[in-house]
Amino acid sequence: MTRISLVAALALAGLATMPRTAALARDLVMGASTEPSAIDPHFSRSSNNQNIAAQIFDRLVTLDANLQLKPMLAESWQNLDPLTWRIKLRAGVLFQDGASLTPEDVIFSMERAKDIPNSPAPFTGNVGAIAAMVAVDPLTIEVKTKSPTPDLMDQIGLVYIVEKKRAEGKKLDAFAKGEAAIGTGPFRFKEWVPGDHITLERNERYWGEKPAFETVTIKLITNNAARVAALRTGAVQLIDAVPPSDIKALSAMKEVRLFSIASSRIIYLALDTDRDASPFVTGTDGQPAKSNPLKNPNVRLALSRMINRKAIVERLLDGAGEPAGQIVPEGLGGYDPALKPEIYDPKGARALLAAAGYPQGFGLTLHSSNDRFTGDGQVAQTLGQMFAQGGIKINGIVTQPYNVYAGAAGKQSFSAFIFSLGTVSPTSATSLRNLLMTVDKEGGQGGFNRARYSNPAFDAKMKTAMAEFDPVKRNTLLAEATALAMNDTALIPLYWPIVTWAARSDITYTANRGEDFQADYAGIAPH
Amino acid sequence: MIGWLSRRVLQALFVVLAMTVIVFIGVNVIGDPVEILIPPDADQAERLRVIAQLGLDKPLWEQYVSFLSGALHGDFGKSFVFSEPALQVILQRMPATLELAICAVLLAIVIGIPLGLYAGLKPNSIFAKTAMAGSILGFSLPSFWVGLLLIMVFAVQLGWLPSSGRGETRALLGIQWSFLTLDGLSHLALPALNLALFKVSLVMRLVRAGVREVLPQEYIKFARAKGLTERRVIFVHVLKNIMIPVVTVIGLEFGSTIAFSVVTESIFAWPGMGKLIIDSINMLDRPMIVAYLILIVFLFVTINLIVDLLYTALDPRVRLDSEG
Repeated sequence: MTRISLVAALALAGLATMPRTAALARDLVMGASTEPSAIDPHFSRSSNNQNIAAQIFDRLVTLDANLQLKPMLAESWQNLDPLTWRIKLRAGVLFQDGASLTPEDVIFSMERAKDIPNSPAPFTGNVGAIAAMVAVDPLTIEVKTKSPTPDLMDQIGLVYIVEKKRAEGKKLDAFAKGEAAIGTGPFRFKEWVPGDHITLERNERYWGEKPAFETVTIKLITNNAARVAALRTGAVQLIDAVPPSDIKALSAMKEVRLFSIASSRIIYLALDTDRDASPFVTGTDGQPAKSNPLKNPNVRLALSRMINRKAIVERLLDGAGEPAGQIVPEGLGGYDPALKPEIYDPKGARALLAAAGYPQGFGLTLHSSNDRFTGDGQVAQTLGQMFAQGGIKINGIVTQPYNVYAGAAGKQSFSAFIFSLGTVSPTSATSLRNLLMTVDKEGGQGGFNRARYSNPAFDAKMKTAMAEFDPVKRNTLLAEATALAMNDTALIPLYWPIVTWAARSDITYTANRGEDFQADYAGIAPH
Repeated sequence: MIGWLSRRVLQALFVVLAMTVIVFIGVNVIGDPVEILIPPDADQAERLRVIAQLGLDKPLWEQYVSFLSGALHGDFGKSFVFSEPALQVILQRMPATLELAICAVLLAIVIGIPLGLYAGLKPNSIFAKTAMAGSILGFSLPSFWVGLLLIMVFAVQLGWLPSSGRGETRALLGIQWSFLTLDGLSHLALPALNLALFKVSLVMRLVRAGVREVLPQEYIKFARAKGLTERRVIFVHVLKNIMIPVVTVIGLEFGSTIAFSVVTESIFAWPGMGKLIIDSINMLDRPMIVAYLILIVFLFVTINLIVDLLYTALDPRVRLDSEG
């Protein structure tokens, strides 16, 4: 009798937890294309490091698959006046060692992030706006800022929260060994063997939805062919950065499923709009040009119309791209639906060139990296052919490895050059500020404005946008700023690459614009 | 002997010094590490802070002098990427590479020498001819292609061997090794084979050529006429006399396998230092590049030293002091 009821009870329990039992005792082995340089979440903002940190540590807010803010450890926030913010913490959050999350941990994390020695990509800028932080009660923090900072949560919200008593005074090695690597995230850090693998374990105390996997092993397989082979053999169940050339073969396998989305990384052609004599612009006779045609917006528009973006993404990239007409894709704040990719119109381009005073075109050398993103060198070749058809005399196409190219591009060595910029925030504000605002070292703008574009109307609009507290109004202003720059063809947007993850058929993955590769985006496929 | 040794060490120091100058100037000419290291949302203030933190705001000669004074105290600087002492990051990955290189060279010796010997003694047999033909494939096929082929056949199609990583490791002398576990050995098999293929072919052809050259010589005829067993003739009189070029080549191959097995390491995701140096070059991580190259110069000098000492053991006529 007791035995029967026990069996029945077990069966009932089993039924009640049916969707969960599938998840029990499941392990996940991922094959990752990149490796972090440290486990300390504050050491580097590079995506390699963030991918690991985001699984172990939580932040006040997080970014969803469309890079939009989602509350995490901060349940809500409001600004009382332009300089004061009140942040309400989530109740009942425990660190992986059982300690409760307190405002002191949050305040400590912000202060720690300010100054990490020798960090190549610190969070210093994220916490730069903070003037003071006070714990009002065990679940409330008040933040004072130095100046009005409407996107405060986009900044401090993305700093990882560490446990004060574990991390205080600790350096990189204490995190790499695990003793300081205690967060509130869905997975616990277990082991990192550099170059080989990282092991994570499910955090049984996690405040949110329990992760589907008990153990997650992230194998570090940087070689594309090797990563794909590992998925085909089943040695790993999930990989990122599937090369476009392998997509056809993988989609034919019934054991494998693919997950794709257009990334928020814009591939663009930058044009020297700054100097009167540009180093790689010549006359049709090959002699140095007397003036720089690229300073003329109509010439830039003509170049943009010579480009058949559809052909580039379909033929050259095997479909792995979405033609772009602005900096950020749909779904991000500041996207302007009216800005379509420039239409392919070689005839109209010739007319524009003639009207601008260049009926015979001019000479131009294109530059590009050849190992930075899929197909960068070929895209340069193709652009050269398209420009030549449009009436430009192409003097040469020079491609270089990225480590040579990046430094030279930053020093204004080129006239027309292909570059990419990833947006990793909810709006286009950061990208627009760094890419297109007039270079200003004190003000912090134009850090990646390699072509030294400068447009006072655009700068003014951006300043208004960045000072706007109302998110809806800010996005409208950002869209208006984008339109100002794009209608001036400040640069020529080409496409957003489509990124692909591949999994064995029993695993699912949420494709995301940030190109993140994290176990909490993975799940178990329903049968 | 001591004069010879100190000359060698002095030579090595000079090479190291020249190399550091070249790397310092070279990295500076190639590009700007900051452009590569900083994230896409960094602003200008952050860029300046990073430049100052990494010490890149100082003039190049000042950076070089402070590197030299650090190096004299055994400090080769901190990696720009990892912010850990460069030498430590490299040494951490060295056992994996050493293990792979030793396995590959061992395979080259145990397969290459017997096959070469056989092919030299019985040049007309079908087996010898097949082995010689195969050796042409062995050193003409590019190793990245053979590596992928090995993965496709043994990992994807047959599913016999794993294709990536080190597998399970066990500690010996405080260092993790793969060859101590069955799982680790199975992970070691394909990359070691891939690296060994070229070396097997090379050693085989060297040994064969040596045997063909030595066999008709007077002293072999004399040894046979003296009535020595064929075994003694081959293993003492033939083999010992052809060993000098073989030892030289194996030594050099061992060194270059440790230093530059990057292709095999990245295809098989082997966490060694070959992959590390390529990543470091791509990121213009100067402290890592300098420390790595110093280590490699040191390694080659040591290997050549051992090879020279082996010469004297193999052929008493070789005098170290008479060398330059």
